[in-house]
Amino acid sequence: MKKDIDTLKKRSRRRRGVVEQAGSASLALSGLVGMFFLVVLVWQIAIPTFIDGENGEISAASEYIPISDYVLEWDHPNVNEQGELKTEPIVLILAWEGQNGPQTHELEIVVTANRGDKEDIQISEEGLSTISVEVGKKTKFYLKSVLEVPVSVEQRSGPVPAADASGNPQVSSFVVSGDVAVLFSNGKAVFEPLEMAGWTSLLVLTFIVSRPNERRLAPFVRCYERERQIRSVTLLLAIFTAVIGQGTLSAFLGGMCWLLFGVALVRTTEGMKRLQNQGRTLTEVKRLKHSISDREGLLMWSRMLLVSACFFIPLDIDIPFLTERYQDIFQPYASGIRSAFLGTVWVMSIAMLFSMPLSIGAAIYLEEYASPTRTTKLIQALVTNLAGVPSIVFGMFGLAIFVKQGGVGLGLGPSILAAGLTMGVMAMPIIVLASQEALRSVPRSLRESAYGVGCTQWQVVKHHVLPSAMPGIMTGSILAMSRIMGEAAPLVVVGAAALVLFDPEPLAALTGGNLNFTVIPIQIYFWTSEPEHAWHSMAAAASIALILLLIAMNSIAIVLRQHFRKRLNS
Amino acid sequence: MSEKIGGEYVSDSTRALEVDGDIDLMVDDLDLWYADKQALYGVSLPIAKNAVTALIGPSGCGKSTLLRTINRMNDLIPICRYEGTITKGDVEITAKDADLVEIRKNIGMVFQRPNPFPKSIYENVGYGVRLHYQPSREELDEIIEKSLKRAAIWDEVADRLHDLGTSLSGGQQQRLCIARTIAIEPDIILMDEPCSALDPIATAAIEELILELKKDFTVVIVTHSMSQAARVSDYTGFMYLGRMVEFDKTDKIFSDPAEELTKRYITGRFG
Repeated sequence: MKKDIDTLKKRSRRRRGVVEQAGSASLALSGLVGMFFLVVLVWQIAIPTFIDGENGEISAASEYIPISDYVLEWDHPNVNEQGELKTEPIVLILAWEGQNGPQTHELEIVVTANRGDKEDIQISEEGLSTISVEVGKKTKFYLKSVLEVPVSVEQRSGPVPAADASGNPQVSSFVVSGDVAVLFSNGKAVFEPLEMAGWTSLLVLTFIVSRPNERRLAPFVRCYERERQIRSVTLLLAIFTAVIGQGTLSAFLGGMCWLLFGVALVRTTEGMKRLQNQGRTLTEVKRLKHSISDREGLLMWSRMLLVSACFFIPLDIDIPFLTERYQDIFQPYASGIRSAFLGTVWVMSIAMLFSMPLSIGAAIYLEEYASPTRTTKLIQALVTNLAGVPSIVFGMFGLAIFVKQGGVGLGLGPSILAAGLTMGVMAMPIIVLASQEALRSVPRSLRESAYGVGCTQWQVVKHHVLPSAMPGIMTGSILAMSRIMGEAAPLVVVGAAALVLFDPEPLAALTGGNLNFTVIPIQIYFWTSEPEHAWHSMAAAASIALILLLIAMNSIAIVLRQHFRKRLNS
Repeated sequence: MSEKIGGEYVSDSTRALEVDGDIDLMVDDLDLWYADKQALYGVSLPIAKNAVTALIGPSGCGKSTLLRTINRMNDLIPICRYEGTITKGDVEITAKDADLVEIRKNIGMVFQRPNPFPKSIYENVGYGVRLHYQPSREELDEIIEKSLKRAAIWDEVADRLHDLGTSLSGGQQQRLCIARTIAIEPDIILMDEPCSALDPIATAAIEELILELKKDFTVVIVTHSMSQAARVSDYTGFMYLGRMVEFDKTDKIFSDPAEELTKRYITGRFG
């Protein structure tokens, strides 16, 4: 008997071991696969595609993209003081391995002073086309290769920006424009030292206040009893930053950083004073932490600022692709997604403004007020089902209700307003369900204690239940927002345009402006269906922009959620 | 009329019940159902003013249910309905159109598990006050300090009033809840096993506090600990299976109970 049990034990142990190993092996495998895809992604996007153009060679480029466009650019005005052109033609020697042995071509590019003479240069087995190139501060044209082999480029003559140490002419840079990295690269970073100081101080401060430590707090101890000076100095700094930055958004944020810095400093020193008055030593860092009143709120604001800064700094860095350029149907690489970007922002804003209050209100009603009658149960079931309805169906709904005139239609036309409302309707069931879940998870004891001090039902909801459920509600709203942000299908039905060459007008449907709009997913969709390769790169770039936008929005939500959660259970 | 419960005959629980001094609140012939299940059978209970009334009895006997009916907390449970009257002075608490806010303001409650709001200590105490009295900042500060002092927790939290209430220890949280309750100056404080989640030291602190509170408030306490009932209460009601088996002065109940059932329960020879 004893032996039997031993065998059983042994067998079960062995079985457990097998399951254990199989489980961890499959986990490891899936992890590896995930890692592999991640690496591929990074390889595709982040591997530097800027090729050193010192000798004018484009060797590595064709390893990535066999057929591609090359941009050749250099800084040189090429004009004398009178504005006359004083330059000889640019002569490039292009060489590659052709089908009939090595091929060499001499390319003469006539430089003119006429704007708009820009043309692309096609490199093929048949030869090259000679072209005219406009001259500006940044002379720039495209070398377009349809060959599947590397092409080496050497500049024989013509205007060059500067000679290198050995006196050889040099081309400032070769850029493989076939890769999306380039699309984001034409921007310029505008950083102001004061603003940077603001950010840095805020970062440091956030760190210090969130985890106080005696050593780190030493400088603050020296500020002890200097609150008034600190306050005025930081106020001055804030004003100075805002004035110097000439009222831009980032200057304003920088100023806010200074102010926060000052307030936090004052709070810290006040807390310190309170401690000393109570005869406590500074080693009790934990108590100090507690004595800095309103620290939580302050931290929240600083984090919010940091995140929104991350959101706005790119605008400040100025990515023309995102914020300046419209689509140019003849020049893919000169195109941008300004109208789609703005369209997305508007559609999202309208959708959230429309759906969030309605959905949260509905959730509160269903969860807190409605008695479980047959009607409310039916509504509940409908909402649950709506969350799984395919997005194209919502598109049809939007078409019928918001776009079309007559019948139940509001007749808003294929406008941003109609699109926003359609997307809002799509987000509603998700938000309602998530909010209900969040409200349901608020502990009963909290409601009881609130009723116990004599709250009315509305006070209980407003002061206690809703704040406790806020993290969950935020999560749900963000999920809904992320979902509708990437949706193209409903908007195809509602009538987003493929080509919009102006800023969209959000209220055009009401004020009677131009209705046309587009959003980033739609733009991606239309670009991927273009035959030309270049548009596909543009689509990839737009996808990256969309993902970045999502990350930025999600970060704000995460900060908000963390704040609410932290306030609930520190 | 007598009923046979638990193998013993007990006298009718609706018999005349008397206390010395004023009666603050009177529960009269209360029947209560959760859906179809009856939880209270004709319970009557007088609550003496400025005294501690303890309710004892085994789990599930309806002590907490009775307590929660007194400030209409059971209204939160949709399947709960009751008959009978509870009167406080000339106010009928069980009336359909009773002002629940006023009732809960006048009859505060401390729960089994400490349940401070997830707000600062200051806000925890100040919340109810602000709700009912709209005090100025100085008045509020004063009320909060006074309440915390009366709840014997001021010394421990004075330097961290802006800390979260939930960050305190269990015993401190329960005293904070008591401070929250007394801050709105109720007449009666209902305590639903206030020490069941606490250690002996915290329990001792709360018991001491209850004796102190007796001077200003009427206290009703539900407890599982008979020694606690004996220590803090002036009157004790023994409940069993939804009936008020016996109600009398605590000394009497614990020294010479009239009912055999009570005697068996307090001596631990039960069931």
